[in-house]
Amino acid sequence: MARPLDPLGFEDEMCPVCKSRKYLNPDIVFVFNPECYHSMCLNCANRLFNDGPNQCPHAGCNKTLRRKGFRSAFFGDLAVEREVDIRRRVAAVFNQVEEDFETLQDYNNYLQMVEDLTFELVNGTDERRRQAEAQLQAWEAEHRQDIERNKKAGREADEMSRKRLAAERDAARQRRIEAIKEAEEEKRERVRSREMELDNLAKGITTTTEPATKVQLKRRGQVNRVAEAAPNPAASAMATGASEVERLSIRGLKEKPKAPAPQGPYDPFGGMDFAPSRYKLHGGLTHPLIEKYRLDRQHVAGGYSFDDFAARALYEAFAGLGVFVEDEKEAGSASGIGLSQETTMAAGIAAVDDADRMDLD
Amino acid sequence: MANSPLVARPTDALQPSKSLPTSSGGTPSGGLPRSARGQQIAQQVAAQARPTMDLMEQMNEDEKNKYIKGKKLGEGTYANVYLGHSRLDSSIKVAIKKIKVQKEYQDGIAPDAIREMKYLQKLRGHANIIILHSVFSSKDQNLNLVLEYLPLGDLEMLIRDVDHVRYGAADIKAWMGMLTRAVWWCHDNYVLHRDIKPNNLLIAADGEVKLADFGLARSFADPGVRMTANVITRWYRPPELLFGARHYSGAVDVWSVGLVFAELIIRAPYLPGNSEVEQIALICREIGTPTEENWPGVTQLKEYTVPSDVVPVAGKEKYMGRFGAVGSDGVDLLAKTLILDPRRRITAREMLEHRWWKADPKPTPKHDLPKKTAGAEEKLAADLKRRNGMVEDDDVRGSKVARKLDFGAAR
Repeated sequence: MARPLDPLGFEDEMCPVCKSRKYLNPDIVFVFNPECYHSMCLNCANRLFNDGPNQCPHAGCNKTLRRKGFRSAFFGDLAVEREVDIRRRVAAVFNQVEEDFETLQDYNNYLQMVEDLTFELVNGTDERRRQAEAQLQAWEAEHRQDIERNKKAGREADEMSRKRLAAERDAARQRRIEAIKEAEEEKRERVRSREMELDNLAKGITTTTEPATKVQLKRRGQVNRVAEAAPNPAASAMATGASEVERLSIRGLKEKPKAPAPQGPYDPFGGMDFAPSRYKLHGGLTHPLIEKYRLDRQHVAGGYSFDDFAARALYEAFAGLGVFVEDEKEAGSASGIGLSQETTMAAGIAAVDDADRMDLD
Repeated sequence: MANSPLVARPTDALQPSKSLPTSSGGTPSGGLPRSARGQQIAQQVAAQARPTMDLMEQMNEDEKNKYIKGKKLGEGTYANVYLGHSRLDSSIKVAIKKIKVQKEYQDGIAPDAIREMKYLQKLRGHANIIILHSVFSSKDQNLNLVLEYLPLGDLEMLIRDVDHVRYGAADIKAWMGMLTRAVWWCHDNYVLHRDIKPNNLLIAADGEVKLADFGLARSFADPGVRMTANVITRWYRPPELLFGARHYSGAVDVWSVGLVFAELIIRAPYLPGNSEVEQIALICREIGTPTEENWPGVTQLKEYTVPSDVVPVAGKEKYMGRFGAVGSDGVDLLAKTLILDPRRRITAREMLEHRWWKADPKPTPKHDLPKKTAGAEEKLAADLKRRNGMVEDDDVRGSKVARKLDFGAAR
């Protein structure tokens, strides 16, 4: 696969089968098969593989090749040719676009993943290449629909940009034609007015050139007005083109299915948990002072919850432990819109402070 | 209140008053006539008044200037509601609820305003609780609460608009999920809301339901401390409150949640009693008569009176007939929220652990929930300006439901 370095370029590339070179045979064409990327001259390839599949003639390569698979290289370096082939294949499978992702971060992660995989395929050891290949195929099998859809979307986008370019070119051409026409018209107009002037002079009408210029002015005005009224075909074409593009792209946006949102199970708690982290709550906590209330019928029948009381007492006892005044100060000044505690205090200081003691009910 | 900010910088606010007695009391030292000098001092005071507002006033002024008050959304006897936006970013919309000075509470702030401020501040940070951005006082000592702007009206609007709004079990599940989370959050922060009903459940632009109106909220009481039984709008009031219990727990809110649930399903108030007696009768008829067997100790409650004909507690089949739309798991949850004995009633946390949430259909994503835009703004205004704990339906039934809270009697 690796070609010996050749400072003279490809002049000395030699067919490994018939040992002929460009030097000896200037018409020689080298071909290779993407099965193994071993090159040979076209003659040898025809000769060896015309009668059906055969083994690659390179020493130590036992791939079975077919005539059909051979093609000539675009790049001189077959390693590059191979990498480009691989990249093309990977890109056809991993054809998500940025809009498919919730965040830029996700998209970047995806690109990174694809690049890693590509690298494995290109430069990895046999083991890792196999692994990457398997991953690629698994993904392809799994996401066939997405891939198809993206492929189609990509084609549509290409089509659209081509259309837009064509429309723009067309519009430019139209504008040019218009400009030429207008210039000609103006020239004719000038000639005509000049003739009219001469005629008038010849007829001896001595009203000077005033009417003529008036006429001219009028005509010019008319031309302008006409030009204004009749929408410039080029411009309108451009406008419709633009609107079409716009509309299409908007529709495209709407049609775009939401990124494959993680359809996890519904979390009734909304991802929040309020379980105390600093202590564990056991049922049946009590205190001598509240013992008598436990038996009080009013408390029992009213549904008063002593466990809630115990939980609250513990919560309030531990509440201050996780607070670091300095941190909160910084966080507080960082948030822009929001309730500043001090201000609320300022507005209702006495009230809020006393609310606990007031015990309104 | 982590930082203690009220270390007042020495201001010269007091200087004019200090200098006044000396100048007015002493002999005129300058050549000026007395009256002219007095005038001069008055000017001096006026000039200094602004830059030397005391720290509290200064902070209040700063806070006030953060928002620009826009058009009035509604006016009520209790409060006016304005649309506003942040001065820095006009896309941040807020609703400013300007509480009027009330006759009964001229010397201070009305208790419901205090409650609202205190508990909204305490409960900040949950997606299903309305956000209190700020509080400031404007001229005339009017209290302004800067609240989150919730443009899509409330749940009651959606429930009542039978002609235009259609919703299904998945939507009910999504709404109930949000409501239950809000109540769970309150209870886990040891706060009783005590006024849960559909028109206190406002809807944000993204479809999120937010619990509002904390004018009747309070924190859990200590044992032996009496709470008033005169809370929660009657239709949503649990039997223990109707029987005058003074020591209750989060179970009172859960009952209200259950009734909101029922209302969401049948699209009409489930137990619309015209008076407290009728409310008890309705509960007895629909859910069952509270007796010593199904609710130990109930007969000891102060205002325990039930109709003479005892109705057995409703079984699941009875609920199935009327509320079957949410499936048997949903009915099971509903029945558990409507258990008469508050000690056996399901708690908000247990509600969230119920299997109904995991069952099919999945709750609708919040942005796909049915919504209604027309008239939503007025509705928001109506909800915010309403006095707490009142129903303001103009229907035949609701018109007389308004009830004044008697805080004094509760002492």
